[in-house]
Amino acid sequence: MHQNKKRGIIGIVITIILLIIIVIISNIQTTDLSFMESALGKLVMPIQNGMTYLKNKLAGNETFFTDINQLQEENKTLKEKNSELEQNLRELEIIKAENETLKEYVNLKDKYTEYTTVPAYVINKNISNYSDEIVINVGSKDGVSVNMPVIADQGLVGHIISVTEDTAKVQTIVDAASTLSCTVSTSRDILIARGTLEAESTLKATYIPTEATILQGDNVETSGLGGIYPKGILIGTIESVTNTKNITDRYATIQTAVDFSKLETVLVIQ
Amino acid sequence: MRKTISIVVIILTFLLIYFLQSNFFSWFTISAISPNLFIIFTLLIGLFGGKKLGVGIGLFFGIYLDVVIGKNLGLSTVMLTFIGFLGGYFDKTFSKESRLTIMLMVIGSTCVYEIGYYILEIIEHAVFVEVLPFIRILAVEVIYNTILTIILYPIIQRLGYLLEDIWKGQKILTRYF
Repeated sequence: MHQNKKRGIIGIVITIILLIIIVIISNIQTTDLSFMESALGKLVMPIQNGMTYLKNKLAGNETFFTDINQLQEENKTLKEKNSELEQNLRELEIIKAENETLKEYVNLKDKYTEYTTVPAYVINKNISNYSDEIVINVGSKDGVSVNMPVIADQGLVGHIISVTEDTAKVQTIVDAASTLSCTVSTSRDILIARGTLEAESTLKATYIPTEATILQGDNVETSGLGGIYPKGILIGTIESVTNTKNITDRYATIQTAVDFSKLETVLVIQ
Repeated sequence: MRKTISIVVIILTFLLIYFLQSNFFSWFTISAISPNLFIIFTLLIGLFGGKKLGVGIGLFFGIYLDVVIGKNLGLSTVMLTFIGFLGGYFDKTFSKESRLTIMLMVIGSTCVYEIGYYILEIIEHAVFVEVLPFIRILAVEVIYNTILTIILYPIIQRLGYLLEDIWKGQKILTRYF
């Protein structure tokens, strides 16, 4: 009996240690391990190169590979030229878009000064893994009401969905039930961005117009449609564009400007 | 009198779990996924305290969670009440003597709760259905809940039988014969 109890306690201690190890390992970012990656790579790469060289020699197709090397080089230079041209085109597009919106920006700046904001702290988060609501420490007493947009210093956070006297609940833009209309700042194309379950700080943008050219790194901001969010608040940047068989189904992943895992202070626009 | 004290203790434990869940488990996560202690707690109350207590406590916890941090009333209320009911059902159908059955019950009810919750959310908020990410989150959450059950098993067993004694009294004598 005594031994059984002892064994049980040892089992529990081992499980706790295992849990801590799992938590630590699962939360390590791969970027933190880049030094290890390069060290391990250095260890293996010379041998790998030697092996490949030997293999090529043995197979007797050295000349074939030199041809391939030439082609590869040519391909590389062409690709470089292509990306240079693309960049030029993009720069032109940006200048064009800037030109179109400069006057608008002047007006918008004036508009922003008109907003009065209420600063607030995040005091609670939804415990569910499927929803992303936060609770902030300002309420109707501070003049906050439902549907007011909430921003952080980096960009858009979400909007108020319910208020009590001292607190307010905010549905963040990364919540799976959240949908908002947004604009790509360079090409002015309008997209619909939805929250996803996949990652905490990404959005999935759908309904991309077929003629739209959306590039990685483009800024995305609110379009002003929908009646909740004012125009021109930064949402994030395009991380990738996924093409599907049907061009109307393609979607883009947006990395939000706000890091929702570290969100502490926000501003409510009144 | 003992029943009233037990309910007060249950509510205090609920608050403790609430604070653990929203503070400690918001960063002590397995690949950014936290466990759901409310499911385990409600299930165990149904399991040891009977169907009525399970449903009552599940309803109370659900409403509290929906009001304080949910989008609107409904999702947690419905699902936690059902988990309380499920606990009462397991009580009549399965033995709770072994660690394994309790673990299997926790796995089953975590799956039922999260799948039900997600389906209700899809219906209520027109959420875009994402099957694979959902399964990934569910799998990690199930593993996390199971590990916590293993760790907490001695406490669960001791307090569980105490609760059973208070709420069922003489009815459980048959267990010993």
